[in-house]
Amino acid sequence: MICVERLFKRFGSMEVLRGASMSVAKGEVAALIGASGSGKSTFLRCLNGLEMFDAGSVEVSGEKLGGGVGGTAPTALSHLRRRVGMVFQQFNLFPHMSVLQNVMSGPLHVLGLSRGEAAARAEKLLARVGMADFVDRRPGMLSGGQQQRVAIARALANEPDVILFDEPTSALDPKMTGEVLSVMADLAADGQTMLVVSHAMEFVRRTAHRVHVFVQGEIVESGPPAQVFGEGAHALTRELLEH
Amino acid sequence: MVRSICMRRSVRSGNRFLTGAALFRGLRTLVPILLTSVTASSAFADRLDEVRARGTLVWGGDEEGGGPYVYPDPANPRRLVGFEVELAEVIAAELGVRAEFHQADWNTLPNFLESGEIDVILNGYEWSPQRASLMLASRPYYIYELQLLVAKRNSQINSWEDLLPRPGAGQAKIGVMQGTAAVGYVRGRLGDAARIIEYDGNTNAMQQVSAGVDDATVQDLPIAVFYRNLPQGSGLRFVGEPVGRGYYVIFAKNGETRLIEAINGAIESAFRDGRLRRIYEKYGLWNPTQDGLLAARPEPRGDVVLRGWDAVAAYGPVLIEAAGTTLLLSFLAMPLAVLLGLLVALGRMYGPAVLRAPLSVYVEVLRGTPLMMQLLFIYFVLPELLKMVGIHGMNRLAAAVIGLGVNYSAYEAEIYRGALQAIPRGQMEAALALGMTRRKALRLVIVPQALRIALPAVTNDFIALFKDTSICSAIAVIELTKQYNILSNSTGARLELAAMTAGLYLAMSYPLSVMVRRLERQLGGEREK
Repeated sequence: MICVERLFKRFGSMEVLRGASMSVAKGEVAALIGASGSGKSTFLRCLNGLEMFDAGSVEVSGEKLGGGVGGTAPTALSHLRRRVGMVFQQFNLFPHMSVLQNVMSGPLHVLGLSRGEAAARAEKLLARVGMADFVDRRPGMLSGGQQQRVAIARALANEPDVILFDEPTSALDPKMTGEVLSVMADLAADGQTMLVVSHAMEFVRRTAHRVHVFVQGEIVESGPPAQVFGEGAHALTRELLEH
Repeated sequence: MVRSICMRRSVRSGNRFLTGAALFRGLRTLVPILLTSVTASSAFADRLDEVRARGTLVWGGDEEGGGPYVYPDPANPRRLVGFEVELAEVIAAELGVRAEFHQADWNTLPNFLESGEIDVILNGYEWSPQRASLMLASRPYYIYELQLLVAKRNSQINSWEDLLPRPGAGQAKIGVMQGTAAVGYVRGRLGDAARIIEYDGNTNAMQQVSAGVDDATVQDLPIAVFYRNLPQGSGLRFVGEPVGRGYYVIFAKNGETRLIEAINGAIESAFRDGRLRRIYEKYGLWNPTQDGLLAARPEPRGDVVLRGWDAVAAYGPVLIEAAGTTLLLSFLAMPLAVLLGLLVALGRMYGPAVLRAPLSVYVEVLRGTPLMMQLLFIYFVLPELLKMVGIHGMNRLAAAVIGLGVNYSAYEAEIYRGALQAIPRGQMEAALALGMTRRKALRLVIVPQALRIALPAVTNDFIALFKDTSICSAIAVIELTKQYNILSNSTGARLELAAMTAGLYLAMSYPLSVMVRRLERQLGGEREK
C-alpha cells in the first residue's frame, strides 16, 4: 500500500529527514511517534505531496511520487490525493461552508459525483462520526472535537485507500480528544488503512499494528506496540517514552 | 485584518477630499461674500477706491483656455502673454495701477468675482442676458464671431447644413466649450438634430475633432484663427463664414458702477488712440467688424433669475438626470474594478513569477498617479495613439468607466491581496489534500473567504468611487457635479443648486454607508463565534 525508502528532506540548512524508510500494508494502522521536530509530520506530508522531498522514493497505492526539483506533475498529484485522505491538527474545515458542504466538497468537486449522491454519502459519513445532527451548522459554531470529527468524515468522503492523521488530537482538551480517538479506533476496527502521527500513547498502544519511532529524521525502531513499549525496546525509544 | 485595510485606504483620502472641494466650490464662496461685503464697505467707498488704494487691478482668467486670450509664453512658460494680458495692462495703466492676473477655472470665475478675490473677469466672457443679470458688464472690448471647424480629412461636412442628420449616418457630434455662447448658438441653430458635447477647455474640444472623436467644433473666431497657425491646429479646417456675432465684455460685481465706468473710459480711450487696434493686430485678431466697437452697447440688464422653489422645480429634474449618470458610472465601473483587482491580486499571490513584477508596476502606477490624469490620458491621448493603428474615436462614457474601473482596480487588488494573505495556509492544504487542483482550491475555498474579509473595505471603496465619478467631468461626461457647475454658472441659483446636489449625493451614498455598517457588524459577529 505504502512504501517509502530512504527519504531525505532539508529546510535550508536543517536536515529534517535523513533516510527514513517504512512500509504500510493494506488494513494496517501505523503510528508515527517521536519528539517534536523529529520529522514525523514532514514525513507524513511527503506522502501526499504537501511537502517535496529531496531524495528517496515514495510509492502510495501503486503511484510513484517524484522527489527533488519539479517533483510530481500537478495532475498526477491531485489524482493521487483522491486516494489519500488527510486529517490536520487544526482541522482546517472550510469556514464559509456548512458541515454538510465540507464533507460533500471532495465527492462533489473532485470525484464528480452528483449533488444528491455527494449529499447522501456525506450524511452517511456524518452519522458514522456522530455528527448527523449538525449538518447545517458552520464549523465556527462547533467545538474542536466536533470539528475534527467532521474533518475525518470529509477525509473519508473520497473513499481513500489510506488516511493520514497529522497530530489529530494535539489541539484538543482530554474530553474532546477521547471522542476523536474513539472515532479513529472505530475506523481502525473496520480495516481502514491509517498512518497516525500522535502523542496519544495509550491510543497508539491499543490501536496501532506497528509503531515507528522517529529520532532526528530517522526511524530508529519499528515494530508492534508490545515490542516498542516493552522492555526490549531500543535505547532511544525508551528515552523518548520516559519523558 | 479589516482594520489594517481601512487604514491603508486613508492614504487615498486626499484624492477624495479634492472631489469634495470641487463639489462645494460654490458653497465655499459664501463665507467670503459675507466677510468682504462688511470689510469693503467700512474701509473704502467702493471697489474702484480699493483698487486704487491697493495699486493693483486683479483680473481673473483661465490660462487653460489658452491662446490668444491669456496663455503661457511658449518661449518662457513662466510669463503670460495674450491679447487680454496686454488689454489688462492698458486698462490698469488708465486707472493708474498695475494689472495682476488671478488664475481660476473659467467656469468658476463668477464665484471668485462674487467672493471678492478678483476685481473683474476679463477672459473672453461673452455678454449674455443671464450673465448681465448676475454681474455688471462693461462696454464690449471685442466683437467675436463663431467659426465652425471640422477635421481636415473630413470631406463630408462643408456647411452648417451638413451637420443635420442624413439617412444612414448618426447624429453629428459637436464639441464646444462648456458655458460659452457657442453652446447656445449651436443648440439654437441645430436643436436636437446634433449632439452637443461640452468640454472644460477649447483645446480639448478641437483636439477631439482632429482625433476623430467628434465631428465638428464651434469656436470663437479668435481661437480658431490662433490655432490655425499652430501645429496642434493643423488637422482642422474652417467651414463656412463666421456666424453668431457677440461681444466680449469685462464683468465686475453688481453695484460697482464707478469701477465699470472707469474701465469703459479706459477701453474707449485705448480704442480712440489706436492702442487697442495694435494689440489685436499683433495677435491677428483685427478685422473691420471691430470698427463698430464704440457704437456697440448691449443692454446692461437681463431677464429674470429663478430662485427658491422655482429654481428647485426648474432645475431639479435636470440634476436628477445627471445623478442617473453618476449611478450608471458607479455601477459599471465598480464590477470592472472588482474583477480586475481580483485577477491582479491572484496573479501577484499565486501567478507565475514572470507576472509578479509587471502586476506590481500596474498597481503602483495606478495608485501613484491622479485619477484625473488617467482619465485625460484615456480620453485625449489614447485616441491619438489608437489613430496610428487605424482606430478612430473613443466613447466618453466608455472612457470614464474604463478610467474609473482601472484606477480603482489597483486599490481593490491591494485589498484582496491583504485578504488573501489573511486566509490560513491550512485552507489551501486541506483543499489540495482533498485532490482539488490549485485553481479549483482558489475558486472554491480561498477566494470566497477572501471576498468575505474584503467586503467592508470594498464597499467603502464603492462609496469613494461613487464620489470620484465627479472627476469624469474632466472628459465632458455630464454627471451630477458637472451639471451643477453648468447650471450654477448659467442660472445664478447657486445656493439652491448646491443644496440639491449635495442632497442628491447624500441620498445615493447614505444607503451604501448603512449597508457597510451592517456588513461590518455581521462579519465581525461571525468571526467571534
